[in-house]
Amino acid sequence: MANPLRLYLACIRNTLEAAMCLQNFPCQEVERHNKPEVELKTSPELLLNPVLICLNEAEKCLIETSINSLRISLKVKQADELENILTKKFLRFLSMRAEAFQVLRRKPVQGYDISFLITNYHCEEMQKQKLIDFIDIEKEITELKLSVNTRGRLVATEFLKQFIYVDRLHIQHFPHQELPAILLCMRMVDNGSC
Amino acid sequence: MLMAYLERSSPTLKETLLKIYRAEKPVEIDQHFYEFGSIQYHIKCSISDSHIVYVSTSTLLETQGIVTVKETSGHTYEMIKKIAVGVIDIVDPPKLGFQLTLKLYLGKIPRGKEAIKIITRISEIQALILSSQLKEMLKMLNFQDDDSQAMNNSIRPIRIVYHPSEPFYVFKQPEKITAVFPMNFKDNADVVIAVSFFQELVEVGSRKEMGKAPQCNWSPIPPFQLRGEPVQDLTTNSGFVSFDITSRHVEGKRLDKTVWNLLNFYAYVKYHIKCSRGYIQRRMRKRMDSLVKLLVNTSLEEEAAQKENERCKNVKKRMKVPTSQLMMKERCKEMTRRVKTSKFRIKINGCARFRFSQRWISLPRFSAKPSNKSYTKLD
Repeated sequence: MANPLRLYLACIRNTLEAAMCLQNFPCQEVERHNKPEVELKTSPELLLNPVLICLNEAEKCLIETSINSLRISLKVKQADELENILTKKFLRFLSMRAEAFQVLRRKPVQGYDISFLITNYHCEEMQKQKLIDFIDIEKEITELKLSVNTRGRLVATEFLKQFIYVDRLHIQHFPHQELPAILLCMRMVDNGSC
Repeated sequence: MLMAYLERSSPTLKETLLKIYRAEKPVEIDQHFYEFGSIQYHIKCSISDSHIVYVSTSTLLETQGIVTVKETSGHTYEMIKKIAVGVIDIVDPPKLGFQLTLKLYLGKIPRGKEAIKIITRISEIQALILSSQLKEMLKMLNFQDDDSQAMNNSIRPIRIVYHPSEPFYVFKQPEKITAVFPMNFKDNADVVIAVSFFQELVEVGSRKEMGKAPQCNWSPIPPFQLRGEPVQDLTTNSGFVSFDITSRHVEGKRLDKTVWNLLNFYAYVKYHIKCSRGYIQRRMRKRMDSLVKLLVNTSLEEEAAQKENERCKNVKKRMKVPTSQLMMKERCKEMTRRVKTSKFRIKINGCARFRFSQRWISLPRFSAKPSNKSYTKLD
């Protein structure tokens, strides 16, 4: 991992560790209601200053804290069109199934790709460290892009090979060390192990 | 690798012919079906004449902007007759609306595995017709002199349409023939996946070991040879893929392979995009399951740890003590029992004189009932 990225993730981790000090706080507006104050923003005294951590213009993290809840919004790097498409697909896929994750917000905050809402109840039920580890999504997008490109390369190789070899018998003329590797890679890519 | 190999034989035609061939009783069939949107088949078999099957086929062939149902050339007829000599006959004229009609004699098909081979070859009839047309074009362009082409500057690229909205162009260049495919996709995600595939195709084609394959290029703008062609063909969202076919690729057996690969390039790319999308979906689902497990485990870990501690205590109680410890325990128990039974009288050998029948210490008795002894209150 590059050094700036490592520092960026370390900064987010440390900030989250400090910010995840949440406690139960009933709603001041409505009796017997308990609402995440960071979403409503009705009482300024319950809100802390939001923290914006930027790696560059394309990657940033916004952490908004309140007394009983915490909202984390991430903007993921999208270097090219393929990463753009994969990021949108993956994050939309997760957001549509937000109920399975409990801490995920169905709709990201404007200007960001994905948002999490963590309340004091989540902190009671789950371990803080694991929640922080869960938030590292960029690695998944990078791996997905790599496997799509690998798959495309293998398919292109197979297509062009058809022009060279008329019969399957001639396939033995292909460099021996490369053919088994290609077939193995294709199988691994299809199985999703690479 | 299955996905690189698109079958020449029509699966529906093959299945229907096999069904008729294997049927114990004569069957009545009059069936129309389409494949890939532009290839049409008609199969007819009647009970009265159950040993003969009529197979008609046609494809939409559009060349140079003129929509025609082109007649099959003589060379193609010869190729078709060679598929199964004695088993099929070409019906002239073909059925109305069709390019070719074959008369199939079921009784003359040899038994066993040979029958399946012959039926498979008959099912490849459409691939044979399409390939032969493109083969003739490529041969014609290949053997054309460069000088004659230079003199005749009005030679335009040949526009070939085997499937609606999927035209491709073939034109002659010095020492090679170039086939250009304008690529269009409806979905934006398909466009991105296709473009990344084309870039990989160009990169793989430029490798040393692929030197014998046709050189492949991708460009977002059309090549200048296509100037003057219809605008709707030159407006694309995924660029233009071109293959440079040399004389090496059109000689002997390679011609058939080259032609088949060019004809199925669109289908190949679409199939790859479909498989890639399916793969992305599977991968996302798998990752989602792992993330959910990670979160569920964090909440269950603490509960599990508490339960584990309680369980350990219970288990420890029920656990068997090792034999040596067991013996020690039994000895201790025996000792305590003896001490108790001796009424707290500890017998020490040699100390008989000090043995008392009474207790050494008399403990006061405490009871819930108030003492009967009265007391005087101190002032």
